[in-house]
Amino acid sequence: MAMEINASEMKRVQLFEVVGRVDSNNANELGAELDSKVDDGKTNLVLDLSGVEYMSSAGLREMVRVLKRVKRSGGDLRVASPSDRVKEVLELAGLDTIFEVYPTQVEAVGSF
Amino acid sequence: MSDQSRLAISARLEEVRHACDFVVEAAERAGLDERAVYHCQMAVDETLTNIIEHGYHYQGDDHEIEVICQAQTRQFLITITDDSPAFNPLEHDAPDPAAALDDREPGGWGIYFIRRLMDDVDYARVGNRNHLILAKNLPEPAGLPTPPGDDAFPVRQLDNHAAVITPSRRLDSNTSPRLETVLNGQLGTGNMWLFVDMVGVEYIASSGLKVLVAVWRRARESSGDVVLCGLQPRLIEIFEMVGFDMLFDVHPDLDTALATRPTP
Repeated sequence: MAMEINASEMKRVQLFEVVGRVDSNNANELGAELDSKVDDGKTNLVLDLSGVEYMSSAGLREMVRVLKRVKRSGGDLRVASPSDRVKEVLELAGLDTIFEVYPTQVEAVGSF
Repeated sequence: MSDQSRLAISARLEEVRHACDFVVEAAERAGLDERAVYHCQMAVDETLTNIIEHGYHYQGDDHEIEVICQAQTRQFLITITDDSPAFNPLEHDAPDPAAALDDREPGGWGIYFIRRLMDDVDYARVGNRNHLILAKNLPEPAGLPTPPGDDAFPVRQLDNHAAVITPSRRLDSNTSPRLETVLNGQLGTGNMWLFVDMVGVEYIASSGLKVLVAVWRRARESSGDVVLCGLQPRLIEIFEMVGFDMLFDVHPDLDTALATRPTP
């Protein structure tokens, strides 16, 4: 399975549930999906990674790029329930201190 | 004992996934755990992506990248070869994970991960091909106690219940348990003064720090000590960050450290 993104609009937050594999072959799709909502003025984003079995640096790069973008508009991109492996990769890249990471989707959405 | 398998893909991003699946299967067969298998998959993904992007500029459809997996006695090896222009990733500076958001480099992370996720990475240009060799240590066979004087941690016996232990390269979750076995083994034979010469240690993870503290406590209980020397500046920084410089006697080099030893 490649990657699937389920986007849903909540009151104050745009939620993205990502499922599958995020790598150099499809990371730009993830970026484009996030960008399209930011273009519409939605800058409070939650990325639920609980369904992500694998993410490479290409996925992280898109996340960082979009984070920079929404921060400029006073928004934020927050991460919910990454797997242990994805969490380890975030930590290795020093991104665990740059992204707000929440154990559950509810907490991430409620943090806004 | 050597189990070897080979895969060739054309240099296109769409093919990287096949190589990942191939490596995952070989790594599982070699006995690596889920975490180590993930590390191998990611290192291969990052390597291939870099080759396709920077080596072939996405024009590599007619070129072949070869991936060879080998399970050796102690390591699982992945060799990746390609005929793009010579490029040694080990010669390039990695981006800084401590950088703030605005200062973060968008590129270079692939190479950073390759180096962090694997236990050894080697590069060679052979003929007109780049060879990158990625190695992941295999788990130690269970039930076999590590003999004292483990190759990775040479021990030199001194007089008066003292010994010098010289770890090298990385003290991480793979190597730290072995260091602990070696140090505890020394305490067990009555060497209460342990001089750990860190001059060859490039990296220490929290698992390595934990081992040093645990052994230090045991040594102190027996009126001995663990004395450290030869720390590289990066390690000194880590030690200061976690307050270990207050705990341990740290000396610039082994000679200075040995001078603190009680005379027989």
